[in-house]
Amino acid sequence: MNTGQPNWKRIALNLSTVLMRWLLGAVFLYTGLSKALHPVDFLKLVRQYDLVQSYWLLNSIAAGLPWFEIFCGLLLLAGVAVRGAALTLLLMLVPLTVLVHHRALAIQSALGIAFCAVKFDCGCGTGVVFICHKLLENFLLILMSGWLLTGYGRQCSLRFDLIKSNSR
Amino acid sequence: MKDDSIQSLAPGRQPAVKWVLLEAVLVVVFGALFAVAANRVSPRGLALTRNFFPEGTGRLVSATPPAAPAHDVTNTHFPAIDPAQIVAAKLREKGLQLIDRSQAVQLFHDPRFQQNTVVFVDARDEQHYREGHIPGAYEFDPYRPEKYFDAVLPVCKAAEQIVVYCNGGDCDDSETAALLLRDVGIANQKLVVYGGGITEWTTDGLPVETGGRNSANPRNPGK
Repeated sequence: MNTGQPNWKRIALNLSTVLMRWLLGAVFLYTGLSKALHPVDFLKLVRQYDLVQSYWLLNSIAAGLPWFEIFCGLLLLAGVAVRGAALTLLLMLVPLTVLVHHRALAIQSALGIAFCAVKFDCGCGTGVVFICHKLLENFLLILMSGWLLTGYGRQCSLRFDLIKSNSR
Repeated sequence: MKDDSIQSLAPGRQPAVKWVLLEAVLVVVFGALFAVAANRVSPRGLALTRNFFPEGTGRLVSATPPAAPAHDVTNTHFPAIDPAQIVAAKLREKGLQLIDRSQAVQLFHDPRFQQNTVVFVDARDEQHYREGHIPGAYEFDPYRPEKYFDAVLPVCKAAEQIVVYCNGGDCDDSETAALLLRDVGIANQKLVVYGGGITEWTTDGLPVETGGRNSANPRNPGK
């Protein structure tokens, strides 16, 4: 286990990663629940992005995404398949952030106001927010998800790796 | 104890990346299964096969009451334009009639209202309905129609005039409800949409009832 780092530094790194994992898990649990408890409101918000034309697909996104977030949040909180869950969230967060950004640009253009003055409910589970706050928040979530891929912070996890690699 | 941190993702340790990718695929698969099951079990789950926005109802949908400041662009696609005007244009496009406050009040005081041949239909969700609705209005959340059809359909079939409303402003739940009622056989000429909705109604100090229909619980409209 000797990687050349002082032991205390490694402990701090692991501890902060565990806390980060719990924070990320709690955030997704909260936002997922807030959407899952009001699926119709979420459906209306998703619809405004004009992502899909098929109502079946639209319903599937609105019905499934909140529960999927809850699932990933629970995995992170419990410490199960941590890197798989983190990668999934990362791959989900990046396009969603791009979508929110595009919508904010459209609103900014329609209103002719400063970008950071744009305020709307992006369907992110946190209600009406200023776009710059939201983008910063998502950026931090992306960073945290990315950091969890490093594999630090194995403490307090039920099954950090779902699949045990034989090659290691 | 083997180190399985960042070093395991280095180029020389490709298998670790493979396992993480495989793990992510499993998370997606099991997450999707969980989502399907949870949506099915949840009493608030969405019916996947139902078109909640028949005939491409507009996208100026408000999940919150529209009494927002002018700079608040919540849920609006074209916030620089008066949302009520867009809703009115959309209604005309769909062949639905829009009525204003005075017409809604007139129908409310029409003797036919007492005989249930003029009916008011509240197209908001249960919580908002219970917090305050036009007295005698029927609750009809168009996103959970199966819950209300039994009570609302016979009344609508017998009625001569049906006034559908929601929050007003950019809310188009009344449009969705009216189109849904039309789809199940209610004659189009009977249906009118009160564009000002409950927001205008309460702002103008008109009577409001809380709780269930005909619960005789008046609410001070100023509150």
